[in-house]
Amino acid sequence: MKIAVCVKQVVTRDWPLRINDSHTWVDDRDASFEMNEPDAYALEEALRLKEQHGGEVVVCSAGPPRVNQVIREALARGADRAIHVEAESLASADGAMVAEALAAPMEEEQFDLVLTGLQSDDQGFAQTGVVLAEFLSIPHATIIMEVQVGAGRVRVKRELEGGWFQWVSMSTPALLTIQSGINQLRYATLKGIMAAKKKEVRLVEPPAELARRQEILMLSVPERTKEIRLFDGAPAEAAGKLVQALKDDARVI
Amino acid sequence: MMHREVLEVDVLVVGAGPAGLSAAIRVAESSRRAGGEPLAVAVIEKSRQSGSHILSGAVLDISGLDELLPDWKARGAPVDTLVSSDKIYYLTSRSKLRFPFNGPLNNHGNYVISLSRFVRWLTGQAEAEGVDVFTGFGGSEILYDGERVVGVRTGDRGVDKQGVEKSNFEPGVDIRAAVTIFADGVRGNLTKTLVKDLVLEGPQPQTYALGIKELWELPPGKVIPGHVIHTLGYPLRNEEFGGGFVYTLPEGRISVGLVVGLDYRDPRFDPHMAFQRFKQHPAIASLLAGGRMLRYGAKALPEGGWYALPRCHVAGGLIVGDAAGFLNSMRLKGIHLAMKSGICAGDTAVEAIRSSDVSASKLAAFQKRIIAGSVRRELYPVRNVHQAFGRGLLAGLAFSAWSMVTGGWCFKRMLPNEVGHARMASISRYYGTEPQDIRVSSNAVTVDRTLTFDKLTNVHYSGTRHDEDQPVHLLVKDTDLCRSRCRELYGNPCIHFCPAHVYEMVDDGHGPRLQINASNCVHCKTCDIVDPFQVIDWVPPEGGGGPEYEGM
Ligand SMILES: Cc1cc2nc3c(=O)[nH]c(=O)nc-3n(C[C@H](O)[C@H](O)[C@H](O)COP(=O)(O)OP(=O)(O)OC[C@H]3O[C@@H](n4cnc5c(N)ncnc54)[C@H](O)[C@@H]3O)c2cc1C
Ligand code: SF4
Repeated sequence: MKIAVCVKQVVTRDWPLRINDSHTWVDDRDASFEMNEPDAYALEEALRLKEQHGGEVVVCSAGPPRVNQVIREALARGADRAIHVEAESLASADGAMVAEALAAPMEEEQFDLVLTGLQSDDQGFAQTGVVLAEFLSIPHATIIMEVQVGAGRVRVKRELEGGWFQWVSMSTPALLTIQSGINQLRYATLKGIMAAKKKEVRLVEPPAELARRQEILMLSVPERTKEIRLFDGAPAEAAGKLVQALKDDARVI
Repeated sequence: MMHREVLEVDVLVVGAGPAGLSAAIRVAESSRRAGGEPLAVAVIEKSRQSGSHILSGAVLDISGLDELLPDWKARGAPVDTLVSSDKIYYLTSRSKLRFPFNGPLNNHGNYVISLSRFVRWLTGQAEAEGVDVFTGFGGSEILYDGERVVGVRTGDRGVDKQGVEKSNFEPGVDIRAAVTIFADGVRGNLTKTLVKDLVLEGPQPQTYALGIKELWELPPGKVIPGHVIHTLGYPLRNEEFGGGFVYTLPEGRISVGLVVGLDYRDPRFDPHMAFQRFKQHPAIASLLAGGRMLRYGAKALPEGGWYALPRCHVAGGLIVGDAAGFLNSMRLKGIHLAMKSGICAGDTAVEAIRSSDVSASKLAAFQKRIIAGSVRRELYPVRNVHQAFGRGLLAGLAFSAWSMVTGGWCFKRMLPNEVGHARMASISRYYGTEPQDIRVSSNAVTVDRTLTFDKLTNVHYSGTRHDEDQPVHLLVKDTDLCRSRCRELYGNPCIHFCPAHVYEMVDDGHGPRLQINASNCVHCKTCDIVDPFQVIDWVPPEGGGGPEYEGM
């Protein structure tokens, strides 16, 4: 089975972020980066499927040269080769733009299964995979918790709201957006890291007419709206005031 | 059966700092020049990415870099801010006095750099020479064959809090090498074990200081890059050794830090608080006004000097850089010496491997290179300075001036030096019988979160992260001691000296007990060094955990 995994490089979780001077994105000049978390689970799922069913895992990423970091990491964990659609303009691109950038080289490859993360930790559109499926004219399913591969079909478990799940079956080729936590991530081994150096990373230029569909107008830091009120008086009296405030002001009871 | 990965190389380097990378580059380069089958060189580094655990000032004396890669400019080294102004001040609590001479701190011809960036670049240079740099692997054990070092075992990965293997458990790797170069930095866990196992201590015990640093960004035009300021005096008292630094970088960046000797007496002294006070001093506060803090970090540095160096050569192994103590504390500079000691080790390793003799006596060529070269020329004349500082700042200043004039000649060959933690006084000895609130540090300030910060906020700005579900990597041999003797005698100094709020005494109704918030740890090594009972052992957490220093 020929499996593609789309990975994105994002600013490290919990990084003390700053907004850039034009207020359109974070200032990532000296940020630290890592693989988008759900993508790491998608990669792990792909590697497990390959272990069960044989085949090949190809990492696909669209982004500036620094994205090489996460591509190498994916290769070190066991992916076989990579496609990197490289352009500086892809640094904070919207989902549709990324999908369009990836579509042409991925179409050529005729993958049986394409896995992406559910959403990215930075922009959180949850659209790249879905739009990519449209570009590739293949069916897709989102928020995947479990993947079972059969002949020409996949059966997948989707997470719904309120603790409900849904099983869906569809023909392959198909695209699945993978939920975080569906498996236990493996570590890169020394041998894997050494082998990664020799693996192929194909650099591809994005299509000439590629452009943003969306423009970020403004980014702002959430304002601190937390308020602390202290109720004084004897414990019973203070508790009474607290209950009143929870009823009347906060309206939570 | 557990399957343990084994990797065989010619030279293994532990620690991708300036020392380790210089050694690796030197080995790879001379093996390439010699032709034939190239020597296999591997570097292991505990941080997730190269440079992430590197924190320094930093003013770079380029003599080491010139020796390693003379064409560093053409190779695009991130070294471009020449020192343009260089001042030393003595601070009193409100004012500053300029020193008329710069003496040992003279920084003419040096550059202000970010060492974490520099190291990232150096890693690229090493990889281009064919060196394998493995980040995310901490060395946890030394592999011996009798007394010969034959390699290092890396830490297990995928072990939970209780020490039980998780489903993604990956046992540590055995990396076997003809020569292992220990470049694990200040108080490196492997060097510490090696020195103990093979009894390598130098004539004097090593002494240390803790450096606490923030990187700030100021409004455009406010700072001129390349300014270097060192301070003595406030907020440190006469009994505390150390000083402050301010280095300006391009793009309105500014490095502010305070270095504090880890041989202070007051058990309630808090280095992090001292750093806050330093920033509050009018001379520093006015510099930082209108700016904001971008990063925070802390790291110890070795200050014992020449006589505290251990024996650095053993069969199959060499010790370089801060791990050994090649640092000139008078100039607050160790990068160039780390690099030079790395170069000497690289050359020694190549020679030994070529002659198929990695015995201790063959590797003693390292010591000869150090003694014959510029490392000793720099460290020997100032060999007694820190010991003099141990006697108070003014004595130290007088001594260092004298030392420069006389070339370090002294009545006694060596001034005696105590281990730092032994100087900490008990609460009653320090404070007398007056009752003390041991939970509060003696130099506490109220933080304003603009200029001054609490430890937890600061830790956030160090980018520190550890997988929470792993065994605690700060091994405290006897936690009963914490609630009994340590509490009575010293008032639990760990809650004050740790700059990352890792140690806390909590009371959930059964009396105070030690809580270790290990995931805050910025790997500064202070606790391992200064704990008066020496019951804390810092061991590497799961590879990749720790701070994420960028631009530090
Ligand atoms: C606040 C401060 C300011 C300073 N200012 C200056 C200055 O202005 N100029 C100057 O020249 N010097 C300065 N120094 C000193 C200088 O930074 C050091 O001397 C230098 O970094 C030493 O290099 P090293 O390679 O020996 O160790 P390090 O730079 O500490 O590198 C050691 C590396 O080994 C890794 N490591 C440790 N243990 C393990 C393990 N078990 N397994 C795998 N990896 C491991 C660490 O993560 C680290 O990356 C300063 C130091 C401090 C703390
Ligand atoms: S626990 Fe120890 S090594 Fe970690 S930050 Fe605190 S003092 Fe430093």
